[in-house]
Amino acid sequence: MNKINSINITGIRGIKNPLILNLKKKSILLYGDNGSGKSSITDAFEWFYYDRVGHLVSEETGATKGKGALRNLFLQSSKDAFIKIEYSKPELSSQKIINSTLRTTQTNTSVEFNKLLIASQSENLILRYKDLVTFIIATKKEKLDKLQGIIGFKQVGVIRDLLRKNAGRIARNIRAAQYDNKKGIQQSIIIGNFGQNITSAQHFFEVANELIKPLKLKIEIKSYKNIKEVLKEIESKEDREIIEKINFHSKVNENLLEIIGNIDSINTDYEAYYNSVADLKKEKEKVEKLQILKLLIEGQKLLQSDIINGDYCPLCQQEKNKTELILDINQRIEELEELKEEKEKVEQQAKDLLQKIQSNTDVLNALISEKLFKKEENAKLQEQTTKIISSLDKYNEELKKNILSEDKILEAITLILKKSNIQKIADDSKYLAKALSESQKKNPKLLIHTKLSLAKQAYGQYNKIIKEEAVLRKQQLTFEALFADFIKRQEQALNIFLQIFSQDINDYYTSMNPNEKVENIKLVPLKDSNNDLVGITIEYDFYDETKSPPIAYLSGSHINCLGLSFYLASVKAFNKQNSFFILDDIVSSYDRPHRTRFARLLTSKFNNYQILLLTHEREFYELISSEVKSKGWLLQDLHWSKENGTVLQIPLVDYKSQIEEKLSNKDINDLGNLIRKYLERQLKIIAFEIEAKVTFRYNNINEKRMAAELLDAVQSKLSKASKELKDLAEIPKMKGIPMFLGNTTSHDNEFQESIGDLEVIWEDVKNLIHYFFCSDCNKFISIKHYDSVEKKIRCSCGDLKYEWKK
Amino acid sequence: MSKEIKSGKDVIEEFFSEIYNIDKVDEKTVDALVSLYNEEKLTDKNIQNALEALVLEELNPTKKADE
Repeated sequence: MNKINSINITGIRGIKNPLILNLKKKSILLYGDNGSGKSSITDAFEWFYYDRVGHLVSEETGATKGKGALRNLFLQSSKDAFIKIEYSKPELSSQKIINSTLRTTQTNTSVEFNKLLIASQSENLILRYKDLVTFIIATKKEKLDKLQGIIGFKQVGVIRDLLRKNAGRIARNIRAAQYDNKKGIQQSIIIGNFGQNITSAQHFFEVANELIKPLKLKIEIKSYKNIKEVLKEIESKEDREIIEKINFHSKVNENLLEIIGNIDSINTDYEAYYNSVADLKKEKEKVEKLQILKLLIEGQKLLQSDIINGDYCPLCQQEKNKTELILDINQRIEELEELKEEKEKVEQQAKDLLQKIQSNTDVLNALISEKLFKKEENAKLQEQTTKIISSLDKYNEELKKNILSEDKILEAITLILKKSNIQKIADDSKYLAKALSESQKKNPKLLIHTKLSLAKQAYGQYNKIIKEEAVLRKQQLTFEALFADFIKRQEQALNIFLQIFSQDINDYYTSMNPNEKVENIKLVPLKDSNNDLVGITIEYDFYDETKSPPIAYLSGSHINCLGLSFYLASVKAFNKQNSFFILDDIVSSYDRPHRTRFARLLTSKFNNYQILLLTHEREFYELISSEVKSKGWLLQDLHWSKENGTVLQIPLVDYKSQIEEKLSNKDINDLGNLIRKYLERQLKIIAFEIEAKVTFRYNNINEKRMAAELLDAVQSKLSKASKELKDLAEIPKMKGIPMFLGNTTSHDNEFQESIGDLEVIWEDVKNLIHYFFCSDCNKFISIKHYDSVEKKIRCSCGDLKYEWKK
Repeated sequence: MSKEIKSGKDVIEEFFSEIYNIDKVDEKTVDALVSLYNEEKLTDKNIQNALEALVLEELNPTKKADE
């Protein structure tokens, strides 16, 4: 698996000058105040791997996927911004560059590197605080989609939908075709012409031979080919016109009978549809809620895409915690999903009926294109048939109406196709066909020709219908069986995954929250009334009782722990190419014990991974720095200034350990400098916290405060505000030490003190700082914690406090 | 973990390799489906066309006899 040797980020977001992290495959703990450029590192990574920076997309309207805001504002346009990553596998190393026209290039164009980039799309490389609880608060369907997405089940979902869709479509086609009606009509034509029903081809030939017997032909009918020969032999040119007419009216009769046979079903289905729509619209509230669903879904997308960054509702502008807002919206969407399903069922009713009506309209349209329809004698018939088509179109118009609109659909009674009207037209056609035949009583050849030809056609149609129906039913059964088998496989695979994945989540969560009575956390698949997998929920045992969902019972901090556990389980399950991940400021809501356990979880269960852990919380940084350092992690501080952007600093804890190491080794080389730098850094914090005033200086020069000046400022402040602390701190004693009296140019000069002197100085420095820094809460005393009742300045926990005049 | 968990690809491949053993399936319909899957053309439209072609194929012999 791939780890990172070094990262060079230049000109991206807050990073102006090259920021180089020589990681050498090690994990790193990076501290930086808010605005110091920590997230610039994460942004650069996100861009490198995913070619976008999600949270920047909202800062522009173009389709640059956040790239427009990627370059450092102060970077000269002639310079390229880039991130260069050197991996443990050198052949994969690459530099991604973005120039001032936002043109981007990856320097590594090898197949292996492209494979890495593609594989990385489904890996979990970055976790930001804002994404910590995304999964936990997601709707059950979103949870299912998310998990199926990361285990490569998207294609499974596609095939599952294809199987279901086709099984449903074939079933609908069979219903719409109304085969029983079609078969019945053809049978009645056969009976009408042969005087009996036909059960087989042989039977048909026998009856046909009986029919032609009076003609004493030399042909015996043994096949359909013989029937054709007979028809040809007995047909005469004179009879052709009348045969055409008889066939035409017979066809009109046949087709209209088919429509009549379908009318009841159309009317029943329309009435059911009308009632369903009426039910849905009966409660005005339901319709209104469904209208709101669209708004909620848009709102959900808006909040999840980070276009809204603050804690407020974008619609009413009222203050509201963003996580809680997403959660509220998700819950409301879930409630409305059921209503949406109800609406979709009604819409499906409309689609099915439209299909049924269309097959009838097709029959009539084919009929009306017959050439005899154009004859003047059939003008009335044509008008009547067109009217039936128009009546069917009226159903279509109603079925296509938006069921949620104010526009009411018409009641069945106002549309109803009357069978009696169509029956009359069909009867007229039948009568005409019969009359035409009877007019030819003295022409037995024509009469036999008509009967044989109509019966042959009807029997052919009958067989065709039987075969078509049989094929469709086989297809329907096949797709139903395939679908049932497929979902069984999908569910089995998903269940195994959920079981193992749940074990990891539970393991990580309980490591961070031991003895808290939350146990047996698991992801559970949810099914609807049709036994379809519709979502995933999170269950857990709380005091031995199964609870779900977590939001209802767990605190914000515990929800965050659960989110983090989910993320870490995902890393373990799915990061196959990259053996590293970035955790960007994710511990904000954790208390002290959780933070320690979190650090231990990372160093014990993820010691094979390379972790880039970013934080803006000094307390957390100091709390876990010795823990992670002992496991071989690197420590680094980040600092930002307008001139240089984000730059690295040696971390305070590193100064301290370097000083103590040198003292124990009696190594005085640079020891004085380190003590001075350490004191300066601590004095800056003290001066800041007690609001000690120093002379105004511009920007980065302001940072170059030396110990003497800072000691003066602190002393001056204590003289005015706290005699008690002034007496304890003994600052004048520190001011007397020569190595703290240097100027900027002598900053790195060698000092002449002996190891004994330096040991005493170091003790004095620590002694000074301990009056200002509480080792219990790891915080400096601060004006922020001024107690106006006791008139005391104190640390965060209150253990360290002194009288203070404001 | 990865040894026990089946990926989406595994599930699909297993399904198609065992598809003929599933009860109550019509061989011709399954042939059409497998052929589309092997050609990486398994879309709704293609399935619909293949199923319609099967219906027409079944009806053709009757048509010939009629002629």
